[in-house]
Amino acid sequence: MMRLSLLLALLTLALMAASVALGPVPFDLTAAIGDLFAGRPTLEALVLAELRIPRAVLGAAVGFSLGLTGAALQGLMRNPLADPGVVGVSGAAALGAVLAFYFGWSSVFALALPLGGLVGAGLSTALLLVLARRGASTATLILAGVALNSLAGALTALALNLAPSPYAALEVVFWLMGSLSERSFQHVALALPFMAIGWGLVLATGRAMDALTLGEDTAQSLGFSLRRTRLLVVGGAAACVGASVAVTGAIGFVGLVVPHLLRPLVGHRPGRLLLVSGLAGAALTLGADILVRLIPTRPELKLGVVTALIGAPVFLLLLRRLRLDGE
Amino acid sequence: MGATRTLLLCLALGGGLWAAFVAPAQAGERVASLNLCADELLLRLADRADVASVTWLARDPRGSTVADLARDVPVNRGLAEEVAAEKPDLVLTGAFTTRTTTSMLRRLNVPVMELNVPQSLDEAYAQIKAVAARLGVPQRGTRMIADMKQAIATLPPATGPAPTALVLRPNGFTAGRGSLADEILTRAGLDNLAARLSPDRLGQLTLEEILAAKPDLLIINGADDAPPSLADDLLHHPALAPYAAQGRLVSLPPRLWACAGPQLAEAAKRLAAARLRIAP
Repeated sequence: MMRLSLLLALLTLALMAASVALGPVPFDLTAAIGDLFAGRPTLEALVLAELRIPRAVLGAAVGFSLGLTGAALQGLMRNPLADPGVVGVSGAAALGAVLAFYFGWSSVFALALPLGGLVGAGLSTALLLVLARRGASTATLILAGVALNSLAGALTALALNLAPSPYAALEVVFWLMGSLSERSFQHVALALPFMAIGWGLVLATGRAMDALTLGEDTAQSLGFSLRRTRLLVVGGAAACVGASVAVTGAIGFVGLVVPHLLRPLVGHRPGRLLLVSGLAGAALTLGADILVRLIPTRPELKLGVVTALIGAPVFLLLLRRLRLDGE
Repeated sequence: MGATRTLLLCLALGGGLWAAFVAPAQAGERVASLNLCADELLLRLADRADVASVTWLARDPRGSTVADLARDVPVNRGLAEEVAAEKPDLVLTGAFTTRTTTSMLRRLNVPVMELNVPQSLDEAYAQIKAVAARLGVPQRGTRMIADMKQAIATLPPATGPAPTALVLRPNGFTAGRGSLADEILTRAGLDNLAARLSPDRLGQLTLEEILAAKPDLLIINGADDAPPSLADDLLHHPALAPYAAQGRLVSLPPRLWACAGPQLAEAAKRLAAARLRIAP
């Protein structure tokens, strides 16, 4: 487990380095890093500091958030198909962020952007947990997610069409597919604190998650409060997914694929799964973001296109396996 | 004999068609417009009483240079039904906008004059002339063109090598080779870098490519008071901050050089002034 975490952390760091090295304009990276640290305002230092590093940091942080939240939702709902994208949490976060951004609230008060995403993500997570508590089956929960996703998508499109900017309606692709293109340190500064709080809240549920696999009653008799665990996951998911989506749009399937790949490697223990899922989510997102820059399309391919190309077939395979298990 | 008669008939028909095409509007002819560029020419050239309607865009001062003229003129949203109901004697349309409405109006036998997007100052002058003639006010068109030519001829003269410039539009688009904006940049004494970087008239560049091109002057082609959008957000990216800090950034609203009209001379004037600031 320690070795796996270390390995994934190293992979994430290597991919961040690759992400920083990759860009439309090739230049001498070591000289640029030298300029940056010496405070010389060269073009290379500027590109590095304002474009490439924010992109790599944001890719890692958003991927970590999505992987972590996916693992936490799957553990808490004991539902293998739970993922912030599939169950509509990302969609609702996008709606919140769109309302905050296009109607001028975030230009008056910058934090309105991540807070808008947070409110959307929080409301939808809470709604899903209520459904899950009422003993809804895997299928019901996923169908509720589909409904929530469609509703959030439709309301996002409506909001964008009502927005005063003539460009807004065309930008629905960004919010539904996600992208790390031309983001800045302002976006990192806005989102990272919320994400870090979210990570802390979700990671704190690790031991309770493990206990939950023994059943709710056993977990409670072991001294774990189910209410507290739920609140931590709802709060944590809202903070990390809400802030992520607010600055990069809804990037799908990361939280679905990653926990499934790693589950056998951590002995199927949902508590241990959390951290490694976060790290692998960061690696997957960074890898996908490197791929969109290598595929020569103009304008750049949206990140969600690549993650969906990887994630949707995995989703189908999972559905098939679940049916074989007789669920 | 038969051949001669056919020829005469053809000439007569052709002459008739030609006459119909250039026939100037008579007093009291009502004209509608379905395109912002056409709105601007119509409002500037025609008598107010002859304007049946213009697009709702003409009233928005962010995008329109004739917002004050459009204030008390009826507006349309480019739909065939509303324009046909006005029973206009002529409808001005853009070559790339409201295509469905335009073809519907043609089927209803409403006379339509289609305006292309001018790619040079000469094309802009030709368009002004054609619209003024069609509206029956050729002398107003001639005056507008003469004023524009006069303003452009009296721009401060370029001395020394031309500073390089790059236009940045929302979503990272630029003004490339063979565009009207390209010619205005040249007239203002600037060397348009995008003409070399981007293969087409409206190339899209990444911020990294823009910074790497190291233009002497960065022309931000967006309104400062534009409502929030990701497209406009790009124009305020912190990576561009050094340009603003060094006074090498000039903001030019897109309405000044999107359409044929006197605002083109205003755009050239502002750019020439910006050139003087960085290369006195």
